Amino acid sequence: MLAPAPTRAGGAPQANYGYIPPVPTLRFENVRRRFGRLAVLTGVSGAVGPGEMLLVTGPNGSGKSTLLRCLAGLLAPDAGTIEYQEDGDTLDAAGRRRQAGVVTPDLAFYAELTVRENLEFFSRLRRATPEHGLAVLARLELPLDRMAGALSSGMRQRLRWAWALLHSPRLLLLDEPFQNFDAPGERAARELLAEHLAAGGLAVVANPSPLEFGHVAGHLDLGR
Amino acid sequence: MWQDTSTWAAEALAVFAKEWRCEFRTRYALNTLGLFAFTTLVVVSVSLGPLGVSTSQGTAVLPVLLWMILLFSAAAGLPRAFVQEEETQTATALRLAATPSALFCGKLLYGMTLTLALEALVTPVFVAMTSLDVKSPGLLAAVLAAGGYGLAAGSTLVAAIIAQARSKGTLFSVLAFPILLPLLLIAVELTRHAVAGDPADVALLQLLLYDGSVTVAGFMLFPVVWNP
Repeated sequence: MLAPAPTRAGGAPQANYGYIPPVPTLRFENVRRRFGRLAVLTGVSGAVGPGEMLLVTGPNGSGKSTLLRCLAGLLAPDAGTIEYQEDGDTLDAAGRRRQAGVVTPDLAFYAELTVRENLEFFSRLRRATPEHGLAVLARLELPLDRMAGALSSGMRQRLRWAWALLHSPRLLLLDEPFQNFDAPGERAARELLAEHLAAGGLAVVANPSPLEFGHVAGHLDLGR
Repeated sequence: MWQDTSTWAAEALAVFAKEWRCEFRTRYALNTLGLFAFTTLVVVSVSLGPLGVSTSQGTAVLPVLLWMILLFSAAAGLPRAFVQEEETQTATALRLAATPSALFCGKLLYGMTLTLALEALVTPVFVAMTSLDVKSPGLLAAVLAAGGYGLAAGSTLVAAIIAQARSKGTLFSVLAFPILLPLLLIAVELTRHAVAGDPADVALLQLLLYDGSVTVAGFMLFPVVWNP
C-alpha cells in the first residue's frame, strides 16, 4: 500500500540511512484503548500513504470513532504507536491535532455566530486565510450569513467539511462523512475527497458499512 | 520568532473577540454577574446604609463585603468560559484548531475585562450606597485592577479544570476558593488601607506576585488540563 523502500540494482533492499519519505504517511500499529473495563480497540494496525484512503468499517461500538480520535491526537491510546510524517517531520499528537482535517458527528460550532463568522474565527486559529474555506462553502452551497444555530443537520455536516478543509490539510480523518447529506451535498463532498486524494493527500474514513468509493486502498474491518 | 509571537497574539485576540461577540449576542454572563452583584448590593445597602455604620466598623466590614460581592459574582459567571465549550461540544473544534496557550490567554483576557467591567459598575455604587469614605482612591483602583485580574486568572484556570468533570458546581467551589483565598485576604487588607489612607506598598507587591504566580501556573497547567 505504501511506496516500497528504495532498492539497488538486483532487487536487494537498500540500507535505510534514516530515510524519511518526503510525502505524508500515516502508520499505526497495535493501537489499544479501553474506557474503564470496556476494551474498545484491541490491537489495531494500519497504514495509508499519499493519494490513498483507508476505509474503517464495523458495527456500532466497534471503535471506529475511537480510532479516529486517537489518530487525530484527541485521545491517547493505552498502547501501540501512531506515526504520521509530513514534510519529513514526524508529528506528535499535538501536531496531528493542528494539521489534520477532521469531520466527526460531534463536531459543533458556535450557534451565536454566523457560518462566515465561525469560519473566519477558526481561520485565525488555524493561521489560514478564510478564502479557501469560503470557496469550499460555496461548492457546498451553504448560506454564509445564517446563524450556525439555525442550520439543519445536513447543513451542519457541510459546515464540518468546510471547517475540515479550511487549512488545506494533507490528512483527512472522516467519521461518517456523508451522514445527513442530501444527494447534491454528498456528491460535492465526494468530489472534494477525490480532489484531496488526487492532490496527494491521505484519508482515513470511518463508516458503519463499506462505502462505494473509487479510491479505497485499504479496508480495516473492526467488526472481526 | 517575531512572526510566531504575532500569530500567537492574533490567535489569542481572535479568542478574546469571539468571546465578547458571543457574549453580546447572548448576554448570559453579563446578566448573571450584573443581577447577582446588584441584588447583593441592594441587600447590603438596605441592611447597613439607612441604619448607618460607624467609621471604624465601616473600614473593617465594608471592604470584606465588597470583595465577597465581587467574588461570588465572578464565580457565577466566569466558569462558563470553558464549561460552555464542553456543553455545546465546541471544545473539540477548539482542541483541534487552537494553540492551548493562546486559547488560555484569550479566555483570560475575556475574564479579566468582564471582571474589571463588573468592578467598575459595582464599586462606585457600593461606595455611594454605604457612604464609604475612601481616602486613597488611587490605591483602591490599583487593588481592584490587580485583584480583579487575580480573580479572573484563578477562576479561568479552575474553570478549565472542571469543564470536563461531572459535578462542576461543587468542584469549582472546592478548587477555586482555596486558590482565591490568599488573593481575597490581601485584597481586603489593601482595600482597608485604601479606605483609611494608609500606605500599602508591601501588600500591593504581594498581590502582584500572586497575580504573576497564578498566571504562570495557568499557562503551564492549561495545556495538560486541556488535552489530557
